[in-house]
Amino acid sequence: MTVITHPRRQTNLAKMIDSAGGVSIGVALAKARTNIEAMRGQAMAVVEAQISALEAVPAPTSLLSTSSRLDQTYLAATELIDAAGPFELFDLCRAAAGLCDLIGAINPEEAFDWRIVTVHARSLRLLQTLPVEAAEERARILQSLREVIERKLAQTD
Amino acid sequence: MSSLGEALRDSAVVNLSGAVTMVIDDSAFALELASQALVGFGIRTRHACRGAAEAMEILQEQNIDLLVVDCEMPGINGFELVRWLRRSGLEPNAFVPVIMTAAHIRRTRVAEARDCGANFLITKPFSATTLLERIVWVARDGRPFLEIGDYFGPDRRFRKAPPPGPERRADLIRKSEYEAGKVSAAEEGEVV
Repeated sequence: MTVITHPRRQTNLAKMIDSAGGVSIGVALAKARTNIEAMRGQAMAVVEAQISALEAVPAPTSLLSTSSRLDQTYLAATELIDAAGPFELFDLCRAAAGLCDLIGAINPEEAFDWRIVTVHARSLRLLQTLPVEAAEERARILQSLREVIERKLAQTD
Repeated sequence: MSSLGEALRDSAVVNLSGAVTMVIDDSAFALELASQALVGFGIRTRHACRGAAEAMEILQEQNIDLLVVDCEMPGINGFELVRWLRRSGLEPNAFVPVIMTAAHIRRTRVAEARDCGANFLITKPFSATTLLERIVWVARDGRPFLEIGDYFGPDRRFRKAPPPGPERRADLIRKSEYEAGKVSAAEEGEVV
């Protein structure tokens, strides 16, 4: 196969990054974290909205509607990760990511056991309401979800 | 190319204030989050786009220094946008550093992610440290661009330097190492 190599060119970004002025990495990160922290309230509202959206996705009534329902579910789960991730709500992220893993791996033309989505939506709600100290309960929920996903993924391989 | 660790010393100084930056994400929250992180780094997002079509119009008319684009978007997705940009013949935008972000990559999209021509893909959870690490890294990315069959983008082989370190939650790992160091120093009666 023919390979055409375009010699390395210096981008504007490369030229400016080491130019005079600027900000130290420490200060830049501290400012960025402060700016992100200011969005916590907004993020929690998004998390709440996306869990509600997952709870509200109706089970598909036919193979034809399965694909669009799965897309809807996937979108809600990824938006949940977008909002929960920066605020270290990693349990929510793990649960949502597991659901995404499964949806990303299956063939939407085949029948899908919708109870998996229902279980994830309920588990996410539970994870959101459990106190932070309830580490054991959280771990148990995540373990159960992981087992469900692993079993289903094994069937798709 | 500077190593990643060296680039992110707290005392190291970077100047990104003049970077004409475009952020593309269909989620208003994610768009705002990325823009706020960039403001912290001294970068004002010049173009915040909710979709690829809007971004394409701007890319045809204005030079951009850095592109941060979400993978999953309705209509034209992030992979398709980057592939179009690399093949667009637009100078210098076709060669602009591109960082892609994704909350999740579908198994069926892995090849698309590798082959679209982006410089780097960040998987979430989002962290300011990871984003800044990648920006510094792409700014110093010395790989040539290659055209091989359908591919147009940076050489996908990392020959002169190893690929950057842990991609996810690097700041949390660092924080836990720091906390662990504090605990062990305290146990030994040292002052941290």
